[in-house]
Amino acid sequence: MSLRLKILSGFLILTTMLFVAGGMSIYELASVGTSVQKLLDDNYKSINAAKMMIEALEREDSGVLLILSGKWEEGRSAVTAGDSLFQKGFDIARYNVTIPGEHNYVNAIEKKYKSYKNLWAGPIADTKNEDNLNWYFQEIRNAFHEVKSSVGELTALNDRAMYQTASMLKNKAHRAIMPGIIAILSAFVFTAVFNFFIHYYVVSPIIEITRGIRLFTAIRKPFDVKIETKDELFHLMSSVQELLAQSQNSRECQNEILAGDETKK
Amino acid sequence: MRPHIILRYIGVVLVFNAVFLTISAVISAVNRDSSFLPLFCSSVITLLFGAFPLIFVPPARQITNKEGFMIVMSSWLLSCLVGVIPYVLWGGEFSFANAWFESVSGFTTTGATILNDVEALPKGLLFWRASTHWIGGIGIVVFMLSVLPAMGSARMVLYRNEMSSLAMDNFRHSTAKTLQILLVVYVGLTVLETVLLTLCGMTLFDALTHSFATIATGGFSTKNLSVAAFDNLAAEIIIMIFMILSGIHFGLLFNAITESPLDLWKSSVVKYYLLSMGIGIAAVTVNIHGSVFPAWGAALRYASFQLLSVGTSTGFATADSAIWPPFAQMVMIFFILQCSCAGSTSGGIKADRVVIFWKSVIKRIKKIQHPSAVVAVKVNNEIVHDDVIEMSVLYIALYITIVFIASVLLTAMGVDSLSAFSGSAATMGNVGPGFGTVSSLGNFSRIPDPGKWILSANMLLGRVEIFGLILLLTARSWK
Repeated sequence: MSLRLKILSGFLILTTMLFVAGGMSIYELASVGTSVQKLLDDNYKSINAAKMMIEALEREDSGVLLILSGKWEEGRSAVTAGDSLFQKGFDIARYNVTIPGEHNYVNAIEKKYKSYKNLWAGPIADTKNEDNLNWYFQEIRNAFHEVKSSVGELTALNDRAMYQTASMLKNKAHRAIMPGIIAILSAFVFTAVFNFFIHYYVVSPIIEITRGIRLFTAIRKPFDVKIETKDELFHLMSSVQELLAQSQNSRECQNEILAGDETKK
Repeated sequence: MRPHIILRYIGVVLVFNAVFLTISAVISAVNRDSSFLPLFCSSVITLLFGAFPLIFVPPARQITNKEGFMIVMSSWLLSCLVGVIPYVLWGGEFSFANAWFESVSGFTTTGATILNDVEALPKGLLFWRASTHWIGGIGIVVFMLSVLPAMGSARMVLYRNEMSSLAMDNFRHSTAKTLQILLVVYVGLTVLETVLLTLCGMTLFDALTHSFATIATGGFSTKNLSVAAFDNLAAEIIIMIFMILSGIHFGLLFNAITESPLDLWKSSVVKYYLLSMGIGIAAVTVNIHGSVFPAWGAALRYASFQLLSVGTSTGFATADSAIWPPFAQMVMIFFILQCSCAGSTSGGIKADRVVIFWKSVIKRIKKIQHPSAVVAVKVNNEIVHDDVIEMSVLYIALYITIVFIASVLLTAMGVDSLSAFSGSAATMGNVGPGFGTVSSLGNFSRIPDPGKWILSANMLLGRVEIFGLILLLTARSWK
């Protein structure tokens, strides 16, 4: 193989090595970004929606208590506002099902909320339920707790998923860093090896050829340089050898002619 | 010494590693698991590193002993380093110390692991882990030279360094023939075991990875519970048979296959190896019957598997021998130290040296009785020279000293004495599991990081039979 190709291969290898390691780092970094976005989109959104639903449930509960205590106008408005907030939160959760099995939790919330809403949706004032704390504690309060615990389960599910994603993020960050470290170390070692080869197969032969020529011109020491490879330097050495041999021959011829002339004289 | 020639042959070994990394990456891609990028990246880096010296350095017709030795040693160390790359790139439980331990354990066919959850590893990485056993088992260099015939007379030198000196003494074939034998026996046994395990109901992946580990006498499993996870008696019997076979001198196995199986029995070393295993199994069976297993059948089943596993330096497990009675554990510790025959892929002191040791003890007793008598130590009806006896005894003494020093260092780090001693002996013998926290169903994750480095050094020392690594460290003073 020619010297040019060998040197080119060295640079190409170094480039490929850095390209592959860099590419992997970029990929992993990009996936860290995606994971963060996913974490926010998938889990954080659902957790926020769950918080909204719990806030709404508490408003509704306060509203029911106000109605029971006779402040039916204030109570109704609190209950209506709570219901609207709950629907908002529920819609977010319903359209953000991203974890396996999450839809079961959403369905459970929907079912339990319907039962809860049925209890207070009808008129309370001027009925037997007005001022009836027993009815509140036996039915309303229980239904309220059931919905709340279902929402709590949804929050816990998303919390767990968030924790898992965060753990994966840590691993992904590690994976993004490691190719860089390996690329740096590999490039360092490779450069040392490359430098050694350049010195051994390029610089040393040039030094040898130069020294051979100098010795030839200075003290007429025969040019005897050995080059292991069959590349440009080998051809250079052969050419120099031929040139020096020709020079030696012509010098010998000249000497013979001179010697012949002197003999004639 | 010509460093460029050494680099060229190390390059060949790295390319071979890269091939297995690529296969692992393909397996990972097929299974769409998380190890594809780490394996792919590792294979590219390894391939480029390996290919570069092949481009630059022309092949050498002759290499010197010193160069051959350096090639073998550097190949071992660099292969271990290459093995680290996919682990650290993947992450998980692999810190650098853990990845180095796992890689050295793989290439030295030890089979000790730091992983608490092996099953969490993706298939691609599990395959690479098993491949490190297979590559290391026969010796990276020997295998490479069998595959690449272009190296001509260079083969002889490398081969001599790769094999145990005792194994070399036993070989009567030419080097090329011997390499052919190793290749045929090694690959043949691997294929045969894979087929038989698949027929027993294991998946092809599990069968192949367990065959890699059995033939190399490694011990890495794809399951947390090792072979116990399969609860498959037929598979256990097959693995036991192949463990025994892998512990026998490959040249003798080749002769047994091509000529007569009875030839095996003519070897006094094999006779001792099989008899000692038989006695060990009987002793452990009797000891654990009643106290651990109420039925004789179960006692025999688990005793034979566990004892053969440590006695051949494989390290698979079907039971937790850490809860067995002390006598059974002591018998197993003896086999952890001794292991199988030279010329196989097993580690330890080796049955050959133990035979020579006992015969030289008998010789000494006879000499005391009859001072003027001429008594020779004979193995297989051939006289063993005094320098071989001296080297064997010295090796045993040095081996036990190193195990002791490593144990002391581990206890200084807070490791309990049983785990420290058995762990040290098991890594030095390339067995894998010991007792205590590092038992057959445990792992080395609780060992502190400096301890993991010590045990990794143990594994390397054991694999290159101590003197190899000492010579490498003193390479400058060679004459």
